[in-house]
Amino acid sequence: MIFFKCSDVADKISDIIDERASVVARMRFHSHLMICANCRRYFEQFKRVKELAGKVSPDDLPEDFDHVMGFVMNEIDKKNV
Amino acid sequence: MQGDGVHQGSETDRVDALKAGTAAAWTQLLSHHGPSLLAYAIRMLGDRSTAEEIVQDSLVNIYHTIDRFDGRCSIKSWLYRAVHNNAIDEIRRRKRYVDVGHEAQEAYFDEAGRWINDCPGWDGLAPKQMDEKRLLGIVRQQMDRLPHAHREVLLLKEVEGFSGQEICDALDISPGNLRIRIHRARAALRAAVVEG
Repeated sequence: MIFFKCSDVADKISDIIDERASVVARMRFHSHLMICANCRRYFEQFKRVKELAGKVSPDDLPEDFDHVMGFVMNEIDKKNV
Repeated sequence: MQGDGVHQGSETDRVDALKAGTAAAWTQLLSHHGPSLLAYAIRMLGDRSTAEEIVQDSLVNIYHTIDRFDGRCSIKSWLYRAVHNNAIDEIRRRKRYVDVGHEAQEAYFDEAGRWINDCPGWDGLAPKQMDEKRLLGIVRQQMDRLPHAHREVLLLKEVEGFSGQEICDALDISPGNLRIRIHRARAALRAAVVEG
């Protein structure tokens, strides 16, 4: 297979984003993007979603972990008494 | 407990200190990974109180079984595997575990592999110009609605920043399986965010 179809591009997107695709696959992928607006849009959306998912963490870490930690350390202490 | 030395050496040194029951080593381990483990459990289970119980039980169990840790994976992966397995057991007990979602991506293409309709949603560079805060809120909300099999790989890879090997160790899956799950998870999240 020389040219990627749109469905091939969709299958390869994560490999491209994670830099796991071979040189040949990357060339076929980006060659296809040059001629296909739908796949360009799809690729942009994947990259954007990955970028946004990576920004979810900081405000989601629980502020109060003390009582969980206290419970665990108490259990540990019991064993060591 | 023995000693209170602070352990900042190699992972092997830290594991030895944990196996020796060194208080400072356990405190450091819990302080470093505890909040992230709890955040992971909350995102998997959907409620904080159950997540706290799961994390507490997992960590106490890890303490009791630390001698079995053989170093074939990182201590971080081992911690996440323990919390993950307990969380999945709880979800299955509630009969709410959803393995995979619908394969929306396949529905986009005809037999020749071409788009049936135009790719829906954002157009060209528009996503970068959209209100980031609003989009982030949507992504967070939709991530929590993903099937668990998708959510767990996204949380570990994109949110926790795990390497592929660390995720495989934590979830006990093969690299090939991880590759497929990551791709399907992103596709499901994209579909949920872009297409509502």
